[in-house]
Amino acid sequence: MLRVRNLKCYYGKIRAINAVSLSVRPRELIALIGANGAGKSTLLQAICGLLPNWEGEILFDKESLQGFKAPAIVQRGISLVPEGRLLFAPMTVLDNLRLGAYLRYRKRDHQRIGEDLESVMELFPVLRERAGQPAGTLSGGEQQMLAIARALMARPRLLLLDEPSMGLAPFLVRLILDTLVQLKEQGMTILLIEQNARAALQIADRGYVLENGQIVLDGAAADLLADQDVKRAYLGKDYREFYEGRA
Amino acid sequence: MPIWNTGEECLDVEERAQMQLERLQSTLNRAYKNVPYYRNRLQEKGIEPSQIEALVDLQQIPFTAREDFSDNYPYGLFAVPLRDVVRIHTAQGSALKPTVSGFTKPDLAVWREMVARALYASGVSKSDILQIDVDPGLINWGRAYKDGAEAIESSVIPLTILTPEKQLMLLRDYKTSVLITSHSAAKQMMHLVFRANLNPNELALKTVILVGEPPEVAIQERLKDELHVKTWVHYGLSEVPGPALAFECEARQGLHVSEDHFFPEVVDPATGRAVPEGEAGELVLTTLTTRAFPLVRYRTGDRVRLVPGTCPCGRSLSRIEWLPSRTDEMRVIRGVKVNHQQILYLIERTLGFLPPSHRFLIRSEDLRDFLEVWLKVDEALFSDEVKGMERLCLRLDRELTQELGVPVKIRLKEEGSFQSQPFSPLIEDLRQQFPG
Repeated sequence: MLRVRNLKCYYGKIRAINAVSLSVRPRELIALIGANGAGKSTLLQAICGLLPNWEGEILFDKESLQGFKAPAIVQRGISLVPEGRLLFAPMTVLDNLRLGAYLRYRKRDHQRIGEDLESVMELFPVLRERAGQPAGTLSGGEQQMLAIARALMARPRLLLLDEPSMGLAPFLVRLILDTLVQLKEQGMTILLIEQNARAALQIADRGYVLENGQIVLDGAAADLLADQDVKRAYLGKDYREFYEGRA
Repeated sequence: MPIWNTGEECLDVEERAQMQLERLQSTLNRAYKNVPYYRNRLQEKGIEPSQIEALVDLQQIPFTAREDFSDNYPYGLFAVPLRDVVRIHTAQGSALKPTVSGFTKPDLAVWREMVARALYASGVSKSDILQIDVDPGLINWGRAYKDGAEAIESSVIPLTILTPEKQLMLLRDYKTSVLITSHSAAKQMMHLVFRANLNPNELALKTVILVGEPPEVAIQERLKDELHVKTWVHYGLSEVPGPALAFECEARQGLHVSEDHFFPEVVDPATGRAVPEGEAGELVLTTLTTRAFPLVRYRTGDRVRLVPGTCPCGRSLSRIEWLPSRTDEMRVIRGVKVNHQQILYLIERTLGFLPPSHRFLIRSEDLRDFLEVWLKVDEALFSDEVKGMERLCLRLDRELTQELGVPVKIRLKEEGSFQSQPFSPLIEDLRQQFPG
């Protein structure tokens, strides 16, 4: 469904993503893990059309996304749940959700938008309770749910999530990730970016490990979960500590 | 015939190309980051892994040769800390030092899967009794085959070093249904069956998997006709990292390469350039998933031809035809690779000097292949006691047999034996062709 080949992204002269290739097949849940500054968010931004001047190839359903702006990409079926949620804090929960379907309102798709509103509120019942409340007054977990629900309102076929577990209590992380599994079961294709490698790999089919803008490891999520390198990255220990007493 | 891992073995070709590119890039990134040898080689050529943007770009990267293993002995080519390595293999090297390869836990799982898929394609199932009988030089394969067969849940008789007669006894008494062995050993086994007046119908044997040497059609035909078995060919690397990385399917149109784990190229051995599709050349392999011991463009010395087109079996893995003879000086005896430099070194080490005249022959007696070493008796070797000469022969025999992992015979010869005709300084193959 999504095929990235030799993607290179720059911030000025700094190359943040250095020849990354990855793919997401239909109905897969892919985890992209890596430390802070590895280039994970940059990669998602390039896919979503939020970052100009990338090189390489990004294909969605075999169509190149080169030159498309964000709205065109949303229209093709890719939605992003951005890092830090980026909700419209003073607006109500309901309005935030409606904004997620912004492009569809312009197409006068009112009836189906109404159905989708129902279904996301079923997915996250708390949003129905808080529908009239300003988004800024929601708790962290609720805000994350709203961010996901808003992305779903665009009726994406590929959902990209940037650190949805950030700053959440462990039980909320669980809840969010369970929702992703549920979405996957309903047929959604998901690319999940996480620093919480363990949690992400537990629900993913496959995973990629990004380090300094390069993929250094890829494989089945279960294999990565058992991998010493991943454990090291996850635990934040460096090679020397692991080497001592052995080499 | 069933397919072990339909998802990987029958993957859409375009999908696989993407997967291979992803895996190749992450392999190169790891090798570059963690193995100074690979980093230096790339830097010498002014290449960074990020410049490899397509599978064909791999051709820019220098080859890895057998010598590089001994130059980086023991752990120089490992890409993970030793703490992550769960198995360390020693295999014959081309030079003085052996080849050391390592496996992480996931690496072993990959091999298990690859061997299982090859065995499964040969019709091996959980109801089989599988006997592994390869020469000591291929002992590492014994382990990999055991793991793979256990994954299929066959009853495995692991590799045990026994005389051919004892192996036959096991084959008969344990009701072995699948035998994994080399062409030479299979030939010998067949000979023993008839010498022992055994009716092949008394044996439960139905499958013979031939490993270590390119397929000899005549032997396969004889095995089929006389032992009433099906034969299958598996291709592997004895030095690193293991067996069965290409295997035959029921269509019998070449050997499927497990391309999800190894990327094959066929190059002209003289120029190193890719040969046109479908032409014969040297097989070059790059690992795509290996963690501990990645290989980048390893020259195998084996001659193959890529088989064009798709296979009727449904697998989309590309196929190679494994051709006889090699592109280097290595010779294969009973599936085990031997080279003359190695023999010279062992003789010198054992005797303390190198006799000036010598000949190395591969011969066959009672269909049993072995290496015969001729040494010229001169003053240094001569002893007026017969016992002394015998002792020396025995010592050499033992050393060479042990080190090379194949049967060896030492012959002390007089001057005349070396004068009659010009002979090759390398190993000469004097095996009689097997009558078809």
